[in-house]
Amino acid sequence: MTDSKFDVVVIGGGSTGTAVARDCAMRGLRTLLLERDDIASATVGTCAGMISSGLKYRDEPDIMKMCSTEVVYWNHIARHIVMKNPILAPLLDLSDAASDSSYMESYSEHVEERDVPAMMFLTPDATLEIEPMLHPEIIASVYYEEYFIDPFRLCLLQALDARNHGAEIRTYCEVIDFEINDKQEIEGVIFYNRVFGTTERVTTKLVVNAAGPWAHKVAKSAKEELHIRLNKGAHVIFDRRIVNTGITVKAMDGRWVYLFPHENTTLLGTTALDTWEDPDTLVASFDEIEYLLQSMETVLPSIREARIIRTMTGVRPLVPDFKVPERNVTRGYRIVDHGENDGTKGLLSFLGGKLVTCRHMAEAVTDLVCEKLGKDIACTTHEKPLPGNEDDVDIIALSKEYDISLHALERMRARRGTEMLKVLEMTKEHPEWKTTICTCEPIIEAEIRLSIREEFPQTLNDLRRRLRLGTGPCQGTFCTYKAASILSEELGLAGDDFLVDILDFRAERWKGIRQSMRGEQLAQEELAQGMYACVGNLDQSDVDYDLKPWEEGH
Amino acid sequence: MDENEAFEYVKSTLKKEKITPYHSDELEIVKSIGACINCGLCINHCPVVASVGLDRFSGPRSIAVELSRSPPEFWATADKVYLCTGCGTCREVCPKNVNIPEIVNIVRANIFEHRPDLVPKGLMIVKEIIEEHNLAFEPWEDKEEKEESRDMRLERLGIPYIPDVVKENAEVLFYPGCQAEERAQEVREAAKAILDYFDVDYTLLDEFSCCSLPSHLMGDAKTARNLAHQLKGKVKKLGVKKVVTTCAGCTSNLADLSVRDEWGAPAYHLLEYLVEEIGFEKLADALKKVAKPNDVHVSVHDPCHLIRHTSRQVMEHALNILRLMPGVRVTESVEHDNCCGGGGMVSFHASEVANSVVQENMMALEKTGAERLVTPCPLCTAQIENNLFKSGSSIEVDDLTVFIAQRLPKKE
Amino acid sequence: MDLETDLVVIGGGMAGLIAGTIAAEAGLDTILLRKGQSATAYSSGAIDVIGYLPEASEPIISPEEGLFALSRLYPLHPYNVLGYDKRIEFEKVMENIVGRTKDTVTWLKAHLDGTIAPLMGDFESNMHPITILGTTKPTCLIQKTMHNGDVQDREDSVLLFVGIMGYADFNPSTAAKTYLEDRMAAAGPPRKVGHCIIQVMPFGKPYNVSSIELARHLDHEGSIENLAEQLKEHIEQIGATHVAFPPVLGLQDALKNKEKLEELTGTTVFELLGFPPSIPGQRLQRALETIFTKAGGKMLLGHEATSYLKVDDNLKSITAASPRREIKIDAKAFVLATGKYIGGGIAGDETGLRETVFDLKPVTGDYHSAMEIVPSRFTSRLSISPTGQPIQSCGLSVDPRFRPVDEDGLEWAKNLFAAGAVLAGYNYSVEKSGLGVAATSGYSAAKNAIEFIKEVA
Repeated sequence: MTDSKFDVVVIGGGSTGTAVARDCAMRGLRTLLLERDDIASATVGTCAGMISSGLKYRDEPDIMKMCSTEVVYWNHIARHIVMKNPILAPLLDLSDAASDSSYMESYSEHVEERDVPAMMFLTPDATLEIEPMLHPEIIASVYYEEYFIDPFRLCLLQALDARNHGAEIRTYCEVIDFEINDKQEIEGVIFYNRVFGTTERVTTKLVVNAAGPWAHKVAKSAKEELHIRLNKGAHVIFDRRIVNTGITVKAMDGRWVYLFPHENTTLLGTTALDTWEDPDTLVASFDEIEYLLQSMETVLPSIREARIIRTMTGVRPLVPDFKVPERNVTRGYRIVDHGENDGTKGLLSFLGGKLVTCRHMAEAVTDLVCEKLGKDIACTTHEKPLPGNEDDVDIIALSKEYDISLHALERMRARRGTEMLKVLEMTKEHPEWKTTICTCEPIIEAEIRLSIREEFPQTLNDLRRRLRLGTGPCQGTFCTYKAASILSEELGLAGDDFLVDILDFRAERWKGIRQSMRGEQLAQEELAQGMYACVGNLDQSDVDYDLKPWEEGH
Repeated sequence: MDENEAFEYVKSTLKKEKITPYHSDELEIVKSIGACINCGLCINHCPVVASVGLDRFSGPRSIAVELSRSPPEFWATADKVYLCTGCGTCREVCPKNVNIPEIVNIVRANIFEHRPDLVPKGLMIVKEIIEEHNLAFEPWEDKEEKEESRDMRLERLGIPYIPDVVKENAEVLFYPGCQAEERAQEVREAAKAILDYFDVDYTLLDEFSCCSLPSHLMGDAKTARNLAHQLKGKVKKLGVKKVVTTCAGCTSNLADLSVRDEWGAPAYHLLEYLVEEIGFEKLADALKKVAKPNDVHVSVHDPCHLIRHTSRQVMEHALNILRLMPGVRVTESVEHDNCCGGGGMVSFHASEVANSVVQENMMALEKTGAERLVTPCPLCTAQIENNLFKSGSSIEVDDLTVFIAQRLPKKE
Repeated sequence: MDLETDLVVIGGGMAGLIAGTIAAEAGLDTILLRKGQSATAYSSGAIDVIGYLPEASEPIISPEEGLFALSRLYPLHPYNVLGYDKRIEFEKVMENIVGRTKDTVTWLKAHLDGTIAPLMGDFESNMHPITILGTTKPTCLIQKTMHNGDVQDREDSVLLFVGIMGYADFNPSTAAKTYLEDRMAAAGPPRKVGHCIIQVMPFGKPYNVSSIELARHLDHEGSIENLAEQLKEHIEQIGATHVAFPPVLGLQDALKNKEKLEELTGTTVFELLGFPPSIPGQRLQRALETIFTKAGGKMLLGHEATSYLKVDDNLKSITAASPRREIKIDAKAFVLATGKYIGGGIAGDETGLRETVFDLKPVTGDYHSAMEIVPSRFTSRLSISPTGQPIQSCGLSVDPRFRPVDEDGLEWAKNLFAAGAVLAGYNYSVEKSGLGVAATSGYSAAKNAIEFIKEVA
């Protein structure tokens, strides 16, 4: 057991946890972030990345205001990973609009600060010119704009920025217990290191529980009861941008579902099902996929002809408002100070919240932490840019200088902003690292090596979150073995571990591919089986492969 | 904001976000690209990859799985997409027939609209010529000189001159294409001689204009649509039943346009017309009548726009016609169906790429021992002829239409 | 313009090309339609016959033994269809299966001799070539360039894995590690394995180097000498007796290049089995096309069968479409060898599977209707396992003459025969049986078609 002292330990490497670690570190607190898996490996890693205007929550004007303000901050501190999506809400009959007219006003209240127009109506002809795939009988559409952020890079950049400010970031470390003294004060945190199989302990008086859908389990380790409402949401992912703008439509149950271009794919989401399952085991069901497709089909009849590459599933950790539908649960957040209610002192737990407000949540909890520590330090997370946001990048000039394709560089820029220069620098000594490894994204070898060296991935799946490795049409069919070799070289792994890495990543991709298997995915899978089973003979491999949570019971 | 202002506003936002909405007639192509499983077979067959390597041209599969996925980033493909010669080899070997040649045009059109600064200069020059003259080449300044050049060529080749005919309600419109109209005039005249020989009721256009393929290929979608519209008007006005051309590119493009724009007159290559309308019997009779044919050993080049954009059967027709010719011996080169590099407008801005593509063809051609190469496309003829000449080869190149006209007897 | 012929083969992979060659050699006018290349061109270029029984974990020692076992345990496996023929006594069924498969293998070896993809290996024992991952797999025939000699038999053998700078498809260091661990577990030679990177730059750059440009480059004069020069130092350093290359030793002259390298380095040089886009797969595809055209067959590239005319029990003609034209082809018999999902012979969505040319009725691996299955329900929770993905066993059910049958078990047409991956009842990825089933079923479908045409005449 190691023993080190921290002012605060943050549990959870999602959007909230990494934002808290960043804020704490920037205010000079000795900060440790513990994540049981990888950064952005759960809820935030399965969202659409919308940093929403809060349109869906117009009954909560404060939240809408907060969302709007936060969007402005994101555009200031992380513009290199932010993009804007124009969105159409096509109307097939008047009732689509009439039942819900207040949203136009609510949305329009804060548009100026976000630099977007007020909502407006478009004629059917105009709508069809913008999106010819829409149903020819639409009577009008409502147009508005929202901002989106790369949720993986956001979390990682927050974590890296926290580290740059002195925080320690430990992934694959699962909190298993707390040390609590007679006065019911936290004295230490005990966690299990899943990479080395060791148990470690650290000293701290303050713990921020940002474990999302596991928040109640973390609280339970401190013998605290935390009520939470877990709600499953699934997305269907298409191989490319299949629509020119985002499309939103009312689903059969009256909820809104959306089709958003996202990076170089399109996301169709979401469902909302209350769940009590282990979030790790969840996959999208046939019904969820049909619910989404059939809802979108009402305005976009050809949606089924597009190539579905996979599904993804996450769990929303909502505040425990029950007896209302998911959409009526507040998207505000709560900070539960367990010590306030005769519970464990020093344990602060998050409930609820949204991606767009994660910085705000962090500011609030860090204020509280500082207060408890008797420190008065101002928050600067909304002012100081995240790494890479410093300047514009001249892709055309860099392409000439380094002889790397424009598109590879443009994609790299979308992940790293000015930090991409570090990658390019590596290619001076190793020109062979300009080689494309993931052909869909694309990603060059130098960026994979840099990420392994500086962004603490342990698996190919972690590299996927950092680089979008294996997220394209072929779903890693062709980059899995190449990237596994590089990971193996960089981490000095044994041959068997190299094969395990391949099997792990195939399993992780398959988790999402399998549920929506149809059309060209049948051919894609025949090819993947042909490579890894038929030629590679990995189906017969006798390496120590641990079943994944969603594979157990097989 | 009223609805019109709103639309204008939205369009300006889309422009800012570099989004060009797909046209409804492009959706089929976009859908086809979605079938790519990234297998890379196309890379093994792409003539540009073979000539310049995967680093310079990342190949058809990268166009499908990488470069064509996100319209707002299409501008960042400008260093790759202009190197595609549009030969269609990838589509032909692809198990899914992913329509790479057409998605390339869509991507180029997007760059043309949003980042004209990234369109290769050589293409912009062609664009200006087309805009000014409705032709892909700078026309002759002096009409008389043009005629003199024509007559000299015809005399050298021994092809009779048939005066131009323009009339309404003819059976066939003969459409020579820009190359034969302005440069390779002998092809235009040879076709007329052939049609005349077989008593085909044909007409020419009153005023020739480009079929729009070059504009389409460089991404100038607006000009392409204008030219297609112009041509449709002319075809409709003449009231012909069929359109016949001698250019491979025109064949596939006119075939598309006649369907898309509902001309009511299908378009064919002259070879197809000869085999399917005139028939082998008549052809054989005519070709056998030549008194003392010279023995000649030829090889054949298959134009991409005929074999891969139209049908491989067209070259079967070509070979069958050659077999009817007394004294003509044909040896096929192993690269007979390899792209000559002359397509996709590549030669207009990266001639070194176009010329390196044709090297394989030339090496294989030398191995056949043929003294002459024939091909039913004036553009392929020019591309191969220039490169053979530069390499000091003794092999001569003829457009197949000219070759046929030369071997027809004098009309009785 | 319409065409007329004796036999139309739909599909230009292993099954279709073998069927076409057999027919053309028998004197039939044969036209083969190829919509696109397919799984054969992707393949590693080795010919699997049978490597594992379904769900078994021990590799099969010899294809002969495997087929005997298969015929007893899995009577509906496509190999077993070979055995059933009304003129054959029941006791001879097994012999017949083995005999026909052996005939096919022998035929294939003989026909590919002298092409750019000459084969070696035999029916009596599976070989265990090494893959680019450093694993090994059982297979029946390999291309001669893949022959690794006595690397696993010679006590003092030392194997060097050679990578090429900027060529991402093969990483010699991980392959070397994986292979050595495997050999240590088996307690057999080689006991020493090394790896190195050399520079081959077909276009002057050490990055984004592709298999095809390497293969073409190595066919050029002088390239092999340069390679050998670079290798010498690495070979000496570890005392390598054997040298493993990624499968890029040449497109036209791979075997000559291998032999030349062996001569220049004094080692045994061989190609590993690789992933698509594979050069040995390409060589195999080209070689098969060459023997087909040499036999007098006519290939119609870029043509897809889009519709057909059937009169009573006979298929009369099919319509083949190219990008902008259509032709009708009349024939006496037809072979359907359109492959599975990659080839496009079978397609499916969430409502079920369909056969794409004649709308025949696909079945699952258990021969139940697959017309209304939800594909995801015919998958295993594990991505890569000996169970494989059951959806890969779906396809067509055929009668003993390889004619696709209807739900009632009767042939759909008297003159339509099917071969290759379009067939149901086997999962080639886990069995390691892909090209073997394709070859034997193609061979048999053609023989049956020839017989049918003779009968009618």
